[in-house]
Amino acid sequence: MISLKRKNSIWLYLFSFGLLFNGQLKAQTSFTSKEIKVNIFSSTPLEDIKAQAINAVSVIIPKSKQIVFQIPIKSLVFSRSLMQEHFNESYMESDKFPTASFKGNILDNIDFSKDGIYNVNVKGILNMHGVSKERIIKGVITITNSKLSINSNFNVACVDHEIKIPSVVFKKIAEVISVTVSGNYQ
Amino acid sequence: MKQYYFLLSILTLLSFGAYCQDADSLLNSLSTPEKNQPIQSTFKSTHLVLLNTNETQKKNDLAFWIGHRFGDIGGQFGGAKTLFGLDLAPDVYIGFDYGFTDKLTLGIGRSKFDATYNFLAKYRLIQQKESSTPFSLTLFGQTAIVSREAFNDAEFPNLSNRTSHFLSSIFTSKISQSLSLLISPSVLLREKVTEARDSKSLFSVGFGGRLKLYKRFSLIADYTLVEGLGRPNDLGTQFYNPLGAGIEIETGGHVFSMNFQNSPYIIENNFIPNTQKSWRDGGVRWGFAISRNFALFQKKNKNKDIQTKIY
Repeated sequence: MISLKRKNSIWLYLFSFGLLFNGQLKAQTSFTSKEIKVNIFSSTPLEDIKAQAINAVSVIIPKSKQIVFQIPIKSLVFSRSLMQEHFNESYMESDKFPTASFKGNILDNIDFSKDGIYNVNVKGILNMHGVSKERIIKGVITITNSKLSINSNFNVACVDHEIKIPSVVFKKIAEVISVTVSGNYQ
Repeated sequence: MKQYYFLLSILTLLSFGAYCQDADSLLNSLSTPEKNQPIQSTFKSTHLVLLNTNETQKKNDLAFWIGHRFGDIGGQFGGAKTLFGLDLAPDVYIGFDYGFTDKLTLGIGRSKFDATYNFLAKYRLIQQKESSTPFSLTLFGQTAIVSREAFNDAEFPNLSNRTSHFLSSIFTSKISQSLSLLISPSVLLREKVTEARDSKSLFSVGFGGRLKLYKRFSLIADYTLVEGLGRPNDLGTQFYNPLGAGIEIETGGHVFSMNFQNSPYIIENNFIPNTQKSWRDGGVRWGFAISRNFALFQKKNKNKDIQTKIY
């Protein structure tokens, strides 16, 4: 009876160790970040408008080459709070559509265990203002000492996501907004 | 024995679960949605038709507000001879409100009626929040001084007879994305009354609401209960409760409202004690208001990532 118990405890140790090891494996099988920077930039001859969020989240799974981003719309900060209010209330309708996301797959082959700068194309669904669009977005993945970081700049046409700009402010808000996404992963 | 096996199987399941985690669920575990955020833009403007709303100016924003009331549409003073009141302008208001902080707004304005100058302060005391606070409360104070010349020597013996103070607690609630409601118990303190029996402390309760029909288009209405709140109802002059209704159009920076109301006057210190027109006998009139916001001290913002540049 005693020996059986001991045998069981050995198993238990083994399994616990396995679980720990598992945890380590998990850290290598996915890269996560809670501090992705997202900058948006609207430029017209009349006015340049910038806003920034610093706490978007992202996950990269090397095995499946999945890459996902999510940003709470309300986390985008403008210099004028009235502008920020209009952005949330009238353009993005962030109470109805609180987040924007991109879920895609990396089309190119990357060796995530090797240091390097990889230019990648990511195909996926960009969801913004409740409207999904299939996009292929270019970006750069940098790996140094097995630390991963990304950088991407792409354009979003307001009309693609049914974001309406009234004719009165048409000259102040660009029809195509430039979006920059960057950050380091763990 | 059995317990061990049970434990083992749970552990195995757990470790298996870690393998299976995909990008989506990992993302969800990372993102912590911010709870209990303040509820913004209960109303689009600092005013409904007649009443002030809980809204104040944002920090360093200057609002330029113009209000206009036309003459009676019908009745003795209206009709075709005044083009349904459009010939007349019983009151025109021009005012500037400035946000010293996001909570405190101070303003100054001038009404055509009685050449009244007014100074106002608005303080946002309670902000409605998603889960903890179901309403907002803004305190509003407004002092008005009649600057026109006295009609006779007895009218304004001293400055206090020209002055009135309006104090109001503006409770509002954004019930849903499209419906916002307002209730504002108030008191008007004044020296000058038309009759000795009329109240020097005039209590009133304002009720108002906004129904958003489209993103930038709303119906607005408000009603102020003055008569029947302790004011003698057998005064020589017949007074009525102010009632207004209209539409509001917002175009990013501008808010434009077109409305009908029975009060010919614009600021509370004037329309609460003096509304002598009624909706019933043609005393209703057109009115409109335009507000425009300007951002001051933009260059102070040092964060280049959010700088706005106006060419």
